[in-house]
Amino acid sequence: MMNFFTSLINNLISGLSVGSIYALIALGYTMVYGIAKMLNFAHGDIIMVGAFAVIVSVSSLGLPSIIAILIAVAVCVVLGVVIEAIAYRPLRNASPLAVLITAIGVSYLLQNLALLIFGSTQYSFPRLFQMEAIHFGQITISGQSIITLLVTTIIMIALHFFINQTKIGKAMRAVSEDKGAAELMGISVNRTISVTFAIGSGLAAIAGLFYGLTYGFIGPYTGSMPGIKAFVAAVFGGIGSIPGAMLGGILLGVIESFSKAYISTELSDAIVFGILILVLTIRPFGLLGKKTNEKV
Amino acid sequence: MLQVNNINVYYGKIHAVKDISFHVNEGEIVSLIGANGAGKSTTIHTISGLLHSKTGSISFLGEDITKAEAYKLVYKGLAHVPEGRRIFLNMTVMENLEMGAYSKGKVSSEDLDKIFQRFPRLKERRKQIAGTLSGGEQQMLAMGRALMSHPKLLMLDEPSMGLAPILVEQIFDIIQELNRTGTTILLVEQNAEMALKVADRAYVLESGSIVLSGAGKDLISSDSIRQAYLGG
Ligand SMILES: Nc1ncnc2c1ncn2[C@@H]1O[C@H](COP(=O)(O)OP(=O)(O)OP(=O)(O)O)[C@@H](O)[C@H]1O
Ligand SMILES: [Mg+2]
Repeated sequence: MMNFFTSLINNLISGLSVGSIYALIALGYTMVYGIAKMLNFAHGDIIMVGAFAVIVSVSSLGLPSIIAILIAVAVCVVLGVVIEAIAYRPLRNASPLAVLITAIGVSYLLQNLALLIFGSTQYSFPRLFQMEAIHFGQITISGQSIITLLVTTIIMIALHFFINQTKIGKAMRAVSEDKGAAELMGISVNRTISVTFAIGSGLAAIAGLFYGLTYGFIGPYTGSMPGIKAFVAAVFGGIGSIPGAMLGGILLGVIESFSKAYISTELSDAIVFGILILVLTIRPFGLLGKKTNEKV
Repeated sequence: MLQVNNINVYYGKIHAVKDISFHVNEGEIVSLIGANGAGKSTTIHTISGLLHSKTGSISFLGEDITKAEAYKLVYKGLAHVPEGRRIFLNMTVMENLEMGAYSKGKVSSEDLDKIFQRFPRLKERRKQIAGTLSGGEQQMLAMGRALMSHPKLLMLDEPSMGLAPILVEQIFDIIQELNRTGTTILLVEQNAEMALKVADRAYVLESGSIVLSGAGKDLISSDSIRQAYLGG
């Protein structure tokens, strides 16, 4: 009985830790959807770019961890903003299908560029920081999990504050509700969408970092699976809703971790997607999604 | 103050505004009236930069704004209260007013006091989510929000739409009061009687063209207007 309890807690913690990585990625999906009304399928690949930026900075250039992280965030922010400006902005009034196909094209482009530069081998991700695990009797929390949970919690609180209290955050909410009315207030919709891509891509860089630390290896296609799962998490929580993305990501991580531990490792993805379908039949707009008014 | 010269506006192949020209002088209330689908909203969307004309030109305060982006015009002193209000329904009343002041940087408490004095209901409800306001309150919020940017020219698209007669009176009183305190007004209305009563001058739009224009009080007594818009 005690053993079961211990394993339950350990799996919960690892689920929360992976889930918070999904949540970071899901936030990017949901903010871009809420504000630009598009699904940015290249978002997952930004994670891969962020992780490679860390690898190059640390392993090839020998830079210190903190500088490597800043470089990764900067690279992803610039990449996200440039992709939006070049690939998506010209399609602002195009059909959603055209935008979706473009996003998939951008995703392939990023993967193939990475393949060209790094080849198809997996690179081991540098251990950026050493942190002792904490033990409570039988329960062990790895240093990895502690840092992941701590950093994502801080980011989410900061993001919540940013969206609800700052002028740019409020402008983002206004644009997500009604672009035309926002323009009539003097808000530049293009600039607001750029800011959204910058934030989403910066969060993806952080997610890439934790993903690398958690799984240890990075390759050109690394971004696609967490990207898809985070997209599922965003839909699960209610796409367009920021608290929904956080909740969806964390729930997805926990469900996945429990399925792997108690049901089947092979089936864990099927279980995750099964639960998503179930939730969407009961609540078509996701856990925290709204029917008509998209919230950022 | 505002000069519209021979603009033509299309939605794809639909020619919604056909070669219209008109002007608004500083200090005036000018009304643009016409039936459903006459092209009134299209015209003021084109002025505020949300739509662009294919040919013709628009100037505001002596500056050519034909191709200007909508958000930049707010900084030049142009405000547009759109048809159907389009307040931010998920945001609070206060946040809507803050968005109105976006072009001003910070919200000044003086401006807020002024708005709350003019619309006391908004003060009571400032923390409320705007989507829960009544239609009249939403119209007041839409107007208050636009006023936060200190417009020189305020364009109102059917401010009386869907409101009870008593509220319509109130809205028109506020429009006249705003005009007396120095705001030039371009008013789009289906409620021709009210719109002509308060207007210094008015233009009548029909299927995308201006068919009549003149002083408000002259038009109100003209036979063709009485028949077409004032119910005989
Ligand atoms: N987005 C659009 N796409 C295609 N046609 C449009 C669009 N908006 C308006 N139209 C057409 O353009 C014409 C003018 O419409 P507009 O909205 O300017 O009329 P209006 O005078 O404001 O009418 P109302 O009093 O009903 O608001 C109409 O024939 C309308 O069907
Ligand atoms: Mg209209």
